Amino acid sequence: MAVVNEKSSNFDFLSSLTSDIGQIIADPAMQRVYEAYDKVSQSMRSYLSGQEGFLEFKPPLIGPVTDPGTRGAKQTEIEFYGKNYKFMSSGILYKQLLAINRQKAGYPGRIYFFADNLRMEPLETANTDRHLAEFIQVDLEIVDADHFDAMEVAEGLVRNVYKDMSKHEDLLKPIWSKFEDSWGPRGLTPRTEIKVPSKQFKKYEFEEAVAILQSHIDENPTVISEIEERFKIKVNTLRPDMELPWEYEWLLSSMHEEPFFIHDYPRGARGFYDREYEDKKGYLMDFDLLFPHGYGEAISGAAREYDHRKVIPRMKESGESLGKYKWYLDFLHKHGKPTAGFGIGLERTVRYFCALPSIMMALPYPKVPGVFNP
Amino acid sequence: MPTDYPYAQIIRRARKGREAIYPYKGDESRFSVFGANVSDKVRKFYTLEDLMITAPQFTPHRLEKSFDLISREPFFRDVDTSVKIGGFNTKLPIVQASMGSPEDWNIVADLSAKACAQLGLIYGIGENVAATWGYDERVNKKQPCLMDRILEYFENRVDGYGGILIQQNEEDAQNELWNKIYSDIRLKDYFDEGLIAFEIKGGQGAKSGIGGEKIVDRETALRLQDNGYIIHPDPSDENIDVKLYERHSSPDIFTEEILKNRILKLRNDYPRAKIWLKTGPYRDLTKVIRVATDAGIDAITIDGKEGGTGMSPTVALQNLGLPTLACLRSVKKIREEGIETSIILSGRFFDGAQVVKALALGVNAVAMGRPFLIAANAYPFSDIFLMFNLYKFGWMKKIGRIVFPPSERNINYITNFVETIKLEMQLLISSLGKYSLDLLGSEDLMALKKDLADSFELKFIFDDNEVSLTNESIKIST
Repeated sequence: MAVVNEKSSNFDFLSSLTSDIGQIIADPAMQRVYEAYDKVSQSMRSYLSGQEGFLEFKPPLIGPVTDPGTRGAKQTEIEFYGKNYKFMSSGILYKQLLAINRQKAGYPGRIYFFADNLRMEPLETANTDRHLAEFIQVDLEIVDADHFDAMEVAEGLVRNVYKDMSKHEDLLKPIWSKFEDSWGPRGLTPRTEIKVPSKQFKKYEFEEAVAILQSHIDENPTVISEIEERFKIKVNTLRPDMELPWEYEWLLSSMHEEPFFIHDYPRGARGFYDREYEDKKGYLMDFDLLFPHGYGEAISGAAREYDHRKVIPRMKESGESLGKYKWYLDFLHKHGKPTAGFGIGLERTVRYFCALPSIMMALPYPKVPGVFNP
Repeated sequence: MPTDYPYAQIIRRARKGREAIYPYKGDESRFSVFGANVSDKVRKFYTLEDLMITAPQFTPHRLEKSFDLISREPFFRDVDTSVKIGGFNTKLPIVQASMGSPEDWNIVADLSAKACAQLGLIYGIGENVAATWGYDERVNKKQPCLMDRILEYFENRVDGYGGILIQQNEEDAQNELWNKIYSDIRLKDYFDEGLIAFEIKGGQGAKSGIGGEKIVDRETALRLQDNGYIIHPDPSDENIDVKLYERHSSPDIFTEEILKNRILKLRNDYPRAKIWLKTGPYRDLTKVIRVATDAGIDAITIDGKEGGTGMSPTVALQNLGLPTLACLRSVKKIREEGIETSIILSGRFFDGAQVVKALALGVNAVAMGRPFLIAANAYPFSDIFLMFNLYKFGWMKKIGRIVFPPSERNINYITNFVETIKLEMQLLISSLGKYSLDLLGSEDLMALKKDLADSFELKFIFDDNEVSLTNESIKIST
């Protein structure tokens, strides 16, 4: 369980969360965090609706399906007049349909949501400092685009938040000093300023990222036991055919000074909606953006699979029953065309700029897997 | 007209239509056990009974064992039957096959969970249990829900042994059963200890390539239709007046790519769970094993055609799929290729000799379904009722059930049954002068039929025994 160092933070965050949440919310430094949350949201909205020409839609909260959870995250069911509906764990399928149909109506196929998502993440994510069961994802989709186009938008968006937040260092500094003693124990690089990234974000192919990690581990054989000690976990095996376990994302992130992309994940790592390369079988046209300094993943995105003949076998790989996706498969069959998009975790971005030891501090009513607070 | 022409069968089909293709009428609720016949008269293919276990006079391993024991000669009880399968330790190479939601099984499934836990055996849970009987709240007071089975097992587990297999079918997937289990706080420690496997269902012995069939009432039919099942006739059509509906579920769709990626995806999504595959008596079984092995499966259960009957059409029971012994031939081939994946075979296993033969030919364990179902449902005198065929009167069964409802007594019954298998195995293995399972090999068997001997590269029992065996013994991995 993520525990904030008591000395650094005047109160034991986790126990206050369950016993006296008001004490947390009334803390002046926490009020600054909530203000930073507002600033980050404004920065993202103004960038997307302004120079990028996106239109914001209100996302659906519930629907007959939502993206199947990956890495064991469970969806939440709700009875909707006798039918079984799901609370959105991510709205990819709905974004795709919306963007394509908006373009069909003669408008630019560029849309975004500030989407509430609910994921019953497995308990093992309680240690990661960056998983919440309830979170907001700024979720966008672009028609006639691929993952590289989406990465370009992602980079512009993140760079803009850097620019805007660098103007608010006075707001952030008291937050940093409140939590600075926790940075070391949680594996975060000390923060003194917001430096807007000067160069283009680095892009690593997934295999390259695994190789960098592997050689770093080979050169520093104690790094694995240090991770186990630091996060009180058993480190997973690093494999070239699977999603990067979060502890390796942390490691790679802590080795970087600026945000960077990892792209071309192996097929087993992601859902059926991430498009597979035609000429590079087994690899997906997708990406993650990771914050530096040990904060890790902020964005997941991809070019979408849109040919139902490719989506069906991918659904079967996830053991999905086709029946419940009828509306989606019918839509792809008739109107499917290339789109790409991504979602950026709002709380993760706030956590990064506020240099919070854990994401649970990014909002007043955090829902952490296995922690029971209001 | 020929006298052996199936008049009665044709008349039954003519009168009853669709329901005549099943060996019994739609109601599954009675104490019904189906499956392959056992006697020679009715079977039309070779079985494990066509192989003999052949003990030697000269037993160097027995001599070696006496060195370990120092003060006494080896005895059959010295045979160590414990083994590691698919990441689990088990005291016997017997797995309680994954069985799902039929009423007769579910009502005793928690008793079997307790028995298996105490015996240090791996316990399988088939599909559709949560959807039919509830996840952690009972839909029906008398019927255990899924979590009852799971917790009963873990609360009684012998330290260091056992593990649970959990399947998920389409309806379970709709309810995200595996995700639910994976994030259930009560099971966190068991996942951390590596005691839970998710078992992909790739087939069922008696009906390979055919999906699950079930007869349900209208209310259930409507709910299932909503969850994407094909229901016949259409329950939402109010003009159709029938009481019972057929629920068809898909046999699922696999290609080599799909199977490989499904395994990788499960590994990716559930790093703390073990991943098992249950496959059926398919003609491309060896390929299935290779693909699953390459993708990193923990264990593969093969259901031979004599197993996994449930509700199966009569034609499938009689004509579809590889017999258990033929599946074993595929295992032999896989072992020759050097593949050491844990393999569990099921389909008409009920005594210790069959288990020893299967182990000698390369499987790591045997799964049994019917024996657990029968032992868990038995009551005093039920064997006598059976002996005199009194079960043909349905009410006899019902009365027995009412007078002797399943209870702790049945845990003893299961324990007794398993104990007999263990004893038989120990007797037979010790007769071979061997005291651990990994020493068993094809040199321990001979075939009663020449063609069978050729196929398995065993000695034909009536050949000249002096000729030394040319085939390398097949060793199972430990």
